[in-house]
Amino acid sequence: MAGLTLRSVYKNYGDVPVIKGVDLDIQHGEFVVFVGPSGCGKSTLLRMIAGLEDISGGEVRIGDRIVNEVEPRDRGVAMVFQSYALYPHMTVYDNVGFGLKLAGTPKDVRDRKIRDAAKVLQMEHLLDRRPVQLSGGQRQRVAIGRAIVRQPDVFLFDEPLSNLDAALRVDMRMELARLHHDLEATMIYVTHDQVEAMTLADKIVVLNGGVVQQVGSPLDLYNAPANLFVAGFIGSPKMNLLAGQVEQVTDGRLRIVSGAFSVWLDAPTSDLSLRDQVTLGIRPHALTLDANGPLAGTVHLVEQLGNETVIRVLLSDGSDITAVLAGQGSFDVGSTIALGFGDESVHLFGRDGRRVAV
Amino acid sequence: MTETPSSVPGTSKPTRRLSPSRGSRKATVTAWLFIAPAALAYAAFVLVPLGMSICYSLLRWDGIGKATFHGLTNYITVLTDADLLQIIGNAFQLVLYFTVIPVALGLAVASAIRGQMAGRFGTATRTILFLPQVIPLVAAGIAWSWMFASTGLVNQTLKAIGLSSWTRGWLGDFVWALPAVGIIGAWVLLGLCTMLLVTGITKIDPSLYEAARLDGARPWHEFRYITLPGLRQEIGVCITVTVIAALASFDIVYISTQGGPGINTTVPGLEIYRLAFAHRQVGLASALAIVLMVLVLLTIAPVQWFTRDKK
Amino acid sequence: MKTAAPNTLVARGLIILLMLVTLLPFLSMLSAALAPQGTYPNGLQWPADPQWGNFVRAFEVAKMDQLLLSSALIFLGVVPVSVLVATMAGYGLAKLTTKKYKWLYLIFVFGLTLPFEAVITPLYYEVRALGLLNTRFAIILPLIGLYMPFGVYWMRAHFLNVPHDLTEAAQLDGATRWKEFLLVQVPLARPAIMSLTILLFLWTWNQFLLPVVLVQDPMQRTMAGALGAFQGQWGTDIPLLCAGSLLILLPTVLLFLTFQRQFVAALMQGAVKG
Repeated sequence: MAGLTLRSVYKNYGDVPVIKGVDLDIQHGEFVVFVGPSGCGKSTLLRMIAGLEDISGGEVRIGDRIVNEVEPRDRGVAMVFQSYALYPHMTVYDNVGFGLKLAGTPKDVRDRKIRDAAKVLQMEHLLDRRPVQLSGGQRQRVAIGRAIVRQPDVFLFDEPLSNLDAALRVDMRMELARLHHDLEATMIYVTHDQVEAMTLADKIVVLNGGVVQQVGSPLDLYNAPANLFVAGFIGSPKMNLLAGQVEQVTDGRLRIVSGAFSVWLDAPTSDLSLRDQVTLGIRPHALTLDANGPLAGTVHLVEQLGNETVIRVLLSDGSDITAVLAGQGSFDVGSTIALGFGDESVHLFGRDGRRVAV
Repeated sequence: MTETPSSVPGTSKPTRRLSPSRGSRKATVTAWLFIAPAALAYAAFVLVPLGMSICYSLLRWDGIGKATFHGLTNYITVLTDADLLQIIGNAFQLVLYFTVIPVALGLAVASAIRGQMAGRFGTATRTILFLPQVIPLVAAGIAWSWMFASTGLVNQTLKAIGLSSWTRGWLGDFVWALPAVGIIGAWVLLGLCTMLLVTGITKIDPSLYEAARLDGARPWHEFRYITLPGLRQEIGVCITVTVIAALASFDIVYISTQGGPGINTTVPGLEIYRLAFAHRQVGLASALAIVLMVLVLLTIAPVQWFTRDKK
Repeated sequence: MKTAAPNTLVARGLIILLMLVTLLPFLSMLSAALAPQGTYPNGLQWPADPQWGNFVRAFEVAKMDQLLLSSALIFLGVVPVSVLVATMAGYGLAKLTTKKYKWLYLIFVFGLTLPFEAVITPLYYEVRALGLLNTRFAIILPLIGLYMPFGVYWMRAHFLNVPHDLTEAAQLDGATRWKEFLLVQVPLARPAIMSLTILLFLWTWNQFLLPVVLVQDPMQRTMAGALGAFQGQWGTDIPLLCAGSLLILLPTVLLFLTFQRQFVAALMQGAVKG
């Protein structure tokens, strides 16, 4: 029964801060995904939890133990590496059982545990092979098996699917979800792929520049992104972000003008005033064809996906928006078009990029 | 803008692997424990003697009795004494044979035979060409001593092609002894250089040659503009290995000419041995040894610099 | 995709020429070795009555069986220890130290260009002071030290190419550094270790300078070292000398022919990396 707690965790490499004060609470059994662009610190954070990187400041607790100074092997964690890091000269059987062998586990106990793990991952027929004889997906299973067999409190995954081809990635995603369900274990998963994050996570931690941008369930992040970064990161295609200005403030309602259109929003708790610069966010899927719609412009890109159509429209004020419309509409490049949206699907971000509740 | 497994477009920089060691004191101690045995052996039998060499070089000592401080006199002797200068010169002359012949011939042969080294023929070639590298240098010395003898193969061949007037006792000849020793070294190193260069050539992208041919290049151009630059590293290796062999030569000279006639084939390696153990001039021998070491470094450094990997 | 290779006939002819040039000294020695003892054979000619007995005589006179044993003992004393110690140090320098300690590695590298002659004189006095003069240890111990620059360089180069997450995986599996070294890294390093062993074997077996200076008794030397004394004793008897020399170079040649592929690979890589 082990949750994980990070308190004011800092990491400096020389003088350069890489992780700048992370606070996190992870419950036992949660599937948490660290997601963010390259260099945001997600892998570093994972490795600090694993014990492969020193912690410059703050504390990390696993269960109720502070593990800052504890050796990786004694932390109760197991890790699946991006490149799998299988021992090339050992068979799958020996790879999976290496940790147990080092711990002095008796041979029969070891054998049973290895075979159990192999059964869970459906790789019993691979036990005598060497890593070089395995496919990418099979190697990944071995890497996971090596982690399972140690029965850790926390599983750590460092971009495990990034070396697989697209089809295999989808299959393995489902396997990982099933694994999580079967083992009921705490899992921390690092990826740069927001689709993986959305589909696997109970809780997503979005990181950028060593700072946590937002923590929440996938739908929380989708429906109420805390700032511009999260808004642009979660959801594909990217949310349309349009610059605007507050033109009127009346009784907790704001009139925002952006380019050639304006919109009234309920913002009872905002502290915005006249002439404040803001950003409006509208997801491409929230736009609809509307002959009288406020967003008018010319189509300059059309992509037919079969179930939906993606178009890019150049608005009269020069800004560019993306819309995803259902079905297989026909749009000519260069034709004019007008799009509308429901007011409830508009996101508002203040001057500092933070979300304003509407 | 199709739906891709999206991520914010960032640089494709892999996750930074911060410092491999844990930096803790325990890790450093472990590192030292691993390195210590090698370091100890190295220090005890290389660095300490090197230091001793430097000390001896400042002394006047016969190895048994008292030593007197001699300052830099030994070095001055090394750099001004006619005989010693000739000895050093001999070593550099050997470089002509040990290095220039194997590298030049090796280049020529390698260019001509690229593509012929596959299969069993290639294996046989490799095996035979490497034989000189596998035997002791002194065995090569004895083999060639016999070849160069008055009734040896060299003279026999000369007589056979009608050049009887050219026959002589090569290794005892004042003019030809050093070149003869050079030939021995060239023979020892030729196979290695050729094989190194051949392997290097196979690494050159064949489409470069095709492109050149389309551009109208003749074989000489191909050699100069594709083969030579492509072999930069291998040539550097050949030069380094052969130059060190020439400057530090001992075995071959000891066994074939003992440095004679006179000092015409004496090389610094041999002279150090003689000075220290026959003439009992330990100080001078050590100074010569240090000078030899410096000469090797000075000669190799430009080669390494010129042919370094410019990736 | 055929690149128009130069004329195959010319190429093959060149190769055969090279091979002949390489083999000639051996052949001439062989023909001399088969001539009647004490005579001065005339160049390369197959004698009418090949004296294969010369080889037997040379074997006895030079006490080749003892020489073989001596060389083998020296090899066993030098190479296993050198390889182990160099592998440990190579691992330490590649995996356990940061850029801060590069100077340590550079000290080893400095020794790569050091001619043995530069230290042979003090080595003599050092070995004498240790009371080991004239024993096999006079050759064994200094050689171990002298091989460290190359050995450490060689093994470090190998370990640098091993991905670091293998070490991390072992750490998470609970391995101490030493266990990881023994159970993971060393098995993985087998090719590099094999090449190193081959090279050190060759250099040790063919070592001449150290035996000649530090050991008087030919029976305590390497075979190559004994050849010097052999030449001194029997230098005027060409057939016997040639027979003896051929016998002395036979062991390495036989081993080379058997493990030819590994030897060639080792020699080539040894030159490039050294």
